[in-house]
Amino acid sequence: MNTYLTHLSRAAGIAGCSLVALSLTAPLAGTAHATGVLAGTLIENTATATYQTGSTTGSVTSNKVTVKVDELLDVAVATLSTAPATATSEPAVLIYSVTNSGNGPEAFNLTADPKISGNGFDGTIKSVVLDSNGNGIYDPGVDTVLTAGALATPVLGPDKSTKVFLLVDLPAGAADAQTSQVRLTATAQTGNGTPGTSFAGKGEGGGDAVVGLTTAAANSLAALIASLANISLTKSASILDPFGTAKPVPGAVVTYSLAAKVTGSGSLDGLHVVDTIPNGTTYVPGSLKLDAAALTDGADGDAGVGGASGIDVTLGKIAGGTTKTVVFSVKIN
Amino acid sequence: MKLSFVVKSLAGAAAMVAMAGPALAAAQSTPSPVTLKGDVMLEKTVTENGVSKVQLVEPKVVIPGDHLLFTTRYHNDGAQAVTNFVVTNPLPSAVALASDGAQGTEVSVDGGKTWGQLGSLKVAGTEGTPRAATAADVTHVRWIIPSIAPGASGEVQYHGIVR
Repeated sequence: MNTYLTHLSRAAGIAGCSLVALSLTAPLAGTAHATGVLAGTLIENTATATYQTGSTTGSVTSNKVTVKVDELLDVAVATLSTAPATATSEPAVLIYSVTNSGNGPEAFNLTADPKISGNGFDGTIKSVVLDSNGNGIYDPGVDTVLTAGALATPVLGPDKSTKVFLLVDLPAGAADAQTSQVRLTATAQTGNGTPGTSFAGKGEGGGDAVVGLTTAAANSLAALIASLANISLTKSASILDPFGTAKPVPGAVVTYSLAAKVTGSGSLDGLHVVDTIPNGTTYVPGSLKLDAAALTDGADGDAGVGGASGIDVTLGKIAGGTTKTVVFSVKIN
Repeated sequence: MKLSFVVKSLAGAAAMVAMAGPALAAAQSTPSPVTLKGDVMLEKTVTENGVSKVQLVEPKVVIPGDHLLFTTRYHNDGAQAVTNFVVTNPLPSAVALASDGAQGTEVSVDGGKTWGQLGSLKVAGTEGTPRAATAADVTHVRWIIPSIAPGASGEVQYHGIVR
């Protein structure tokens, strides 16, 4: 309602202004509302005439004819993500904008479809979220998560838009680097259909609502990419006996090498390499190394702990394509 | 909804006053020999068998982009000829003149201060450089009818597009 009154006052300003002001405001009037005058605007036309009869002059005014502008239902949906959004163990966040391209206030129902032809996998819609604070970034706990059965934008003024986030989880079978698309569709709540379809009395200001060229429904596709990682652990051993050869005799030192190889485009977090000391052997103090750098045996500032109960090296978060090698030695009793 | 109703009813009241004014004046002093009657129709393009034609229908549903035909009929009810009859019609702010909307008659692009054929008028463009006025710049249309004989009538029209 506020928008409507504001528009009326501005329209009045245009009608009464001077040439210079007109040239400044007229282009604005053209661009301010992409789809034209607001629903509910009254078009009022009156003509006046001046004349002479003999030597006297007079004037006469016509009746006023009034036409109310009805509501045009139009919508546009666009994808704001330029690159595929990354889905890991956390859902991908796809960003769309929904714009009311009609001339009246309107809310739009939202549907998300993850089953698109050509998908490597079909994602699972975890939630549909409105960008409540309008910053274009999904803020968990701040932005409004829509509840199922009420998936809709708030009422948007003409030419106003809102951003919508779709949080999409990877399905169980998704493989690393596979891509998928999700379609967001927005439909005018008043109704949609063939352009020209009208809904009597449903428009702003009590007029009709008429479906525009967009059919009052629009959609857009956004892409996501699976970013997963796998780990493989390879253990090898080398023996050095007291005689300089490689026989597993008492007193010989066995050096174990544990190679942790992370593959894939994602990363793995919270990794530890843990091993026990084989029976009949004794841990060689100070033999623990990570990527050739020595680690102390004690539980201290560095990543490793070594002793009679085994070794434990904390790797933390490792990106795909990285190999971490842990080395330690035992002596055969 | 409620505010909208108030605006509408106010507009209605204003129209009643405007109509009552001349009638009262006519009864008391100089009776107007001429009557003006305004009308608006929606120009609907209908395509039948590949041929497009324009039908005039009641403007029940009007949306931006629709074409409207505004007509003003005049009638000289007096016993004398009426001369220098000039009908001036400010365009509603929500209506732009159609590109061929008022052929052969004078228009104004400055709120009715100066007049001319649309092709001869200029408006200030971007960066202050004057540019040729377009139909969308028109603020007023007027028709000059040199003389209306007693009992004669006629009509003037312009085509507008809802902005």
